[in-house]
Amino acid sequence: MKISLAKEFDNKAHQPVAHTTSPIVTGASVVALKFRDGVIIGTDTLCSYGSMADFKDVKRIRQISKNTVIAASGDHSDFQEVVRLLGEINTEALQYDDGVSPTPRDYANYLARVQYQRRNKIDPLYLMNVIAGYYNGEQYLGLVDLYGTYIEAKTVTTGFANYFCKAIIANYWREDFSEEEARKILIECFKVVFCRDARAHDRIQISVINKDGVRIEDPIQVETRWDFQKFATKANEKLHTQ
Amino acid sequence: MYIDNYLKSRGGFDFTNVQRNEHLFKDIGMKHPGYTKTGTTIVGLCFDGGVVLAADTRATAGSIVADKNCLKLHVLAPNMWCAGAGTAADLQHVTNHMAAKLKLQRLNTGRESRVNEVVTKLCDHLFQYQGNVGCALIIGGVDSIGTHLASIAPNGTYMYHPFYSMGSGSLAALGILEAKFQDGLKYEQAVDLAIEAIEAGIFHDLGSGSNVDVVVLTRGNRPDFRRNIRHYNQRNYLKQVPYKFEIGTTPYFSKLRFNIEKQELNEDELAMIVE
Repeated sequence: MKISLAKEFDNKAHQPVAHTTSPIVTGASVVALKFRDGVIIGTDTLCSYGSMADFKDVKRIRQISKNTVIAASGDHSDFQEVVRLLGEINTEALQYDDGVSPTPRDYANYLARVQYQRRNKIDPLYLMNVIAGYYNGEQYLGLVDLYGTYIEAKTVTTGFANYFCKAIIANYWREDFSEEEARKILIECFKVVFCRDARAHDRIQISVINKDGVRIEDPIQVETRWDFQKFATKANEKLHTQ
Repeated sequence: MYIDNYLKSRGGFDFTNVQRNEHLFKDIGMKHPGYTKTGTTIVGLCFDGGVVLAADTRATAGSIVADKNCLKLHVLAPNMWCAGAGTAADLQHVTNHMAAKLKLQRLNTGRESRVNEVVTKLCDHLFQYQGNVGCALIIGGVDSIGTHLASIAPNGTYMYHPFYSMGSGSLAALGILEAKFQDGLKYEQAVDLAIEAIEAGIFHDLGSGSNVDVVVLTRGNRPDFRRNIRHYNQRNYLKQVPYKFEIGTTPYFSKLRFNIEKQELNEDELAMIVE
């Protein structure tokens, strides 16, 4: 007697079901530096829809707790989800009503776990997250990428800033800088990124986290120079005529 | 069949190989040759009175360093040098070829070479090969028209710039150049900036490394070529070749002397004291 199964097994190996592995609305570079009394983090305010500069005044730095801030490059909807998840942790902690709140490292660690789990399901949150905070007299700066890699560092760059700004930071930044000096380096980094990254924007937002808490500033315009002599004299037109 | 097709063609583009290529890719399954990009950082920048070219000195074959101190700055003419990134063989042959063509033109016309001459020749040559000749060049020169810095991409695009960088380390170098370049730099400032840009490539790009070479071209002077103007992490200890040991390096118990002419063997006085 043959038992017929409602569903036959086939022996073909199936690819795991992959959900979204490509981002749609994306944010560009993030640059973050530790300085003497805290951490300074900056992003531009653009979310691109592919190659269209769709949303030009987006707040890409979000405060998670009174001493922690998160920014990310990558898919913006995933970023909003991450902010929501970390907010949930906050809510849970509040409900204990014991005055204990998660440290910046706790948020980053939780995020790393979440990212890793999602990556194992081939359904990543397509983000390079940067978490910056100030806890117990110490600055905190961490990077969590879409695979779940967790790195703590003194300077963090994501996106194109990785390529353009690492040399500037290595040569001109020092750990014992004041806020003003660190801000100058940050703005210089964004000038360079705007000049050469086709998906960057010249409006940036800076946030400073120190012992007084979190301060997310209003967006500012970055000035760039385009009037170099050799650009102005249109040398490219001379090729066959002289 | 090739000759017939060739004779029939009336100039313009020659499509005789299209059929053959289609056959090779579809029927035989040949793969399109890939572009081999060798790791490099090269930069060029214009300053007040001339142009500076600089390059790193690492040649890679895959992820192995093939040459720790190769020369990426090539002479095209007495007043024009170029820095090359891409396939080493293509660069050497193409730059030699261009230098020879320019020399012939100088002999024919009796005039100094101009940057736009070599840019035209290179673009015509590279465009024919549709990017398969892996030459990315930064050409700097001073001629009767002025100082020029041009970049040529492997597929034949040319652009003139105040400053530029190419190669795998180009983004790192460009970061430094964008931040610090200004019009009207002086000689030493321009050299320092070029070196800093190459250093950015050397330390922040894995395909570039070793030393920095610089050449400065100015009107009316010989090119100022500084080979290995910077070197990092040099080996301090170099093996002594050939080995030379002073007499007495090894302690001995007894010493016998044999005179070859007289065929006499004598025992010498007492041995060195072994410590």
